Amino acid sequence: MFKNIIELKNINKVYKAVGGDTKALKNVDLNIKEGEFLAIMGPSGSGKSTMMNILGLLDTPTSGTYILNNRDVSKFNEKELAKVRNKEIGFVFQQFNLLPRTTVLDNVLLPTVYGDIPDPKGKAESLIEMVGLKKWGSHKSNELSGGQVQRVAIARALMMDPSIILADEPTGNLDTKRSINIMKLFQEINKKGSTIVLITHETYLAKYASRIIHLRDGNIIKEEMNK
Amino acid sequence: MKFASILKQSFKAIMSNKGRTFLTILGIVIGIGAVIGLMSLGNGVRESISEQIDTLGTTNLRVTSIPGVNSSMPENFTDRRNGSIEQPTNYPMGGLSQSLTQEDLKAIEGISKDVVSYSAGYVANQVEFVAKDRSQIASLLGVSPDYFVLNSFSLESGEYVNSESGNEIVLGSELASNLFVEEDPIGKEIEVHNTAFIVKGILGEESESNISNPNLQAYISDTKAFELFGTEYYSGITVQASSEDTVDEAKEKIEEALLKSHEIEDASLADFSVTSSEDLLSMVDTIMTMLTSFLTGIASISLLVGGIGIMNIMLVSVTERTREIGLRKALGAKTSDILIQFLTESVVLTLIGGIFGILAGYLIGTGVGRWLDIDAVVTIDSIILAVGISSLLGIVFGIYPAKRAARLNPIDALRYE
Repeated sequence: MFKNIIELKNINKVYKAVGGDTKALKNVDLNIKEGEFLAIMGPSGSGKSTMMNILGLLDTPTSGTYILNNRDVSKFNEKELAKVRNKEIGFVFQQFNLLPRTTVLDNVLLPTVYGDIPDPKGKAESLIEMVGLKKWGSHKSNELSGGQVQRVAIARALMMDPSIILADEPTGNLDTKRSINIMKLFQEINKKGSTIVLITHETYLAKYASRIIHLRDGNIIKEEMNK
Repeated sequence: MKFASILKQSFKAIMSNKGRTFLTILGIVIGIGAVIGLMSLGNGVRESISEQIDTLGTTNLRVTSIPGVNSSMPENFTDRRNGSIEQPTNYPMGGLSQSLTQEDLKAIEGISKDVVSYSAGYVANQVEFVAKDRSQIASLLGVSPDYFVLNSFSLESGEYVNSESGNEIVLGSELASNLFVEEDPIGKEIEVHNTAFIVKGILGEESESNISNPNLQAYISDTKAFELFGTEYYSGITVQASSEDTVDEAKEKIEEALLKSHEIEDASLADFSVTSSEDLLSMVDTIMTMLTSFLTGIASISLLVGGIGIMNIMLVSVTERTREIGLRKALGAKTSDILIQFLTESVVLTLIGGIFGILAGYLIGTGVGRWLDIDAVVTIDSIILAVGISSLLGIVFGIYPAKRAARLNPIDALRYE
């Protein structure tokens, strides 16, 4: 219980540009414990997207180490990173989460195209039921509402039993009521044991997390615990 | 990544924009169709020519003059009778200048019967046949006596002509029925060039070929024909070897005999040529292969254009689906997975094009073939070739767009608007 699932040590990320380099993350240290529901907050330009990309292994840090499940993944090559993304990270993006003209079921099954799990179809169906879309399995993604799309994305994120679920402003396109429903779903999943990292700039959404860190100009400036 | 799911995704992507897919594939269909169609027509022409050469008899050799080698143009070639006589028309085969005489025929007849069973000379000309109240323009052949037996002709009635026949004539079945309706032609009179001939025999119905139709010809003795046409040269001499095994030996012996009778020492200066059916076949084969590859080469240009169309549409598709690529990469797709996915898509596109192209080619081949009276032959080879070429097109023209897709950075791809 409470072992560190993610350890970021002295992470720096520098974007090179002709007009001068941008330091998106500066000497960031962060530990995320198993079973935690962490919210990362901050205004735009604070480095939250960079943080999300590095946590999600979509980008590599300029320096520093990233330990995921006791493995240093900061030196992994493209192929190894793809495998880790597939098996250990579940993504929920703000938009363009689903393949267009593709059924809910096939969208949830998408990670299993790139990695094997036993009985993918049965698992996908039970996850679709869990997010409350039992009757929607054979519907195409473009027939769904914004909230339903995010639910499908959450079901897909759980498909490979990842170590961590990364949600990047998952309710950015939703109204308050639907946003809260999604947060409740995340909370529910968290209670079942999934580790969740939520990126948001809405305080009322961050309140659903167990811990909140605030980023500004590439630094963690504040950390608070919820009861 | 599993192949079944790659294929499923490829079909889904291809079917998601049917109009565009149809137009893209159309380029390949036209290209493959043109190639297959032309190849099948080429094969059809080759086979029909081969069949016709076979009807000439596989043991038959044709001796013809080579034009221009030797200036043995007869002095009496023109104007002997105030131009009232047309020049020999070198029919069915022969050179412009003539060199084959009755002496030559005798020389060939002198070859052992073990090698050569029959030989016959002929001289041919288009003339007008005038019967009592009908007339027709057709070929008149002056033939040496063995001509009929050599060509396995049969008599319907009457007798054949021979060297002593003089003004006697044998009619082909069709010519006979055209000139004489409801009366027996035997013993009747026909006029050719103001010379009267008595019908001595009617041939049975003989098989015709594109090269000649014996039913629409008439036959007189060679000596009479020389007199009538004002020449002393055969258009050609046909020789029948005793069997298929002696064809080559017969050819040698004939060349030997003719070189001697023409007093030519250097065989390369020969003013005649001896051709076997096999020689003709290989010649036709060479010409048809050249012609078919030439036409197919031109048709392949449309394949190239079709391939460029595929590349173009795949590039558009990659751009349109940038975010899909980003999403797939985020969910664990490796660079190679994306590469294979897009490559499969372009190969599926070109393969579908190839399959419909084969169908189109078959239709083009049979359609044009029916029009030109050729049996188009779509061979398994050409189908394999078409499938091979279309998959290759998919790979060649799909690899660049697929690489572009695979190289996309997932962050940039996800952010792409």
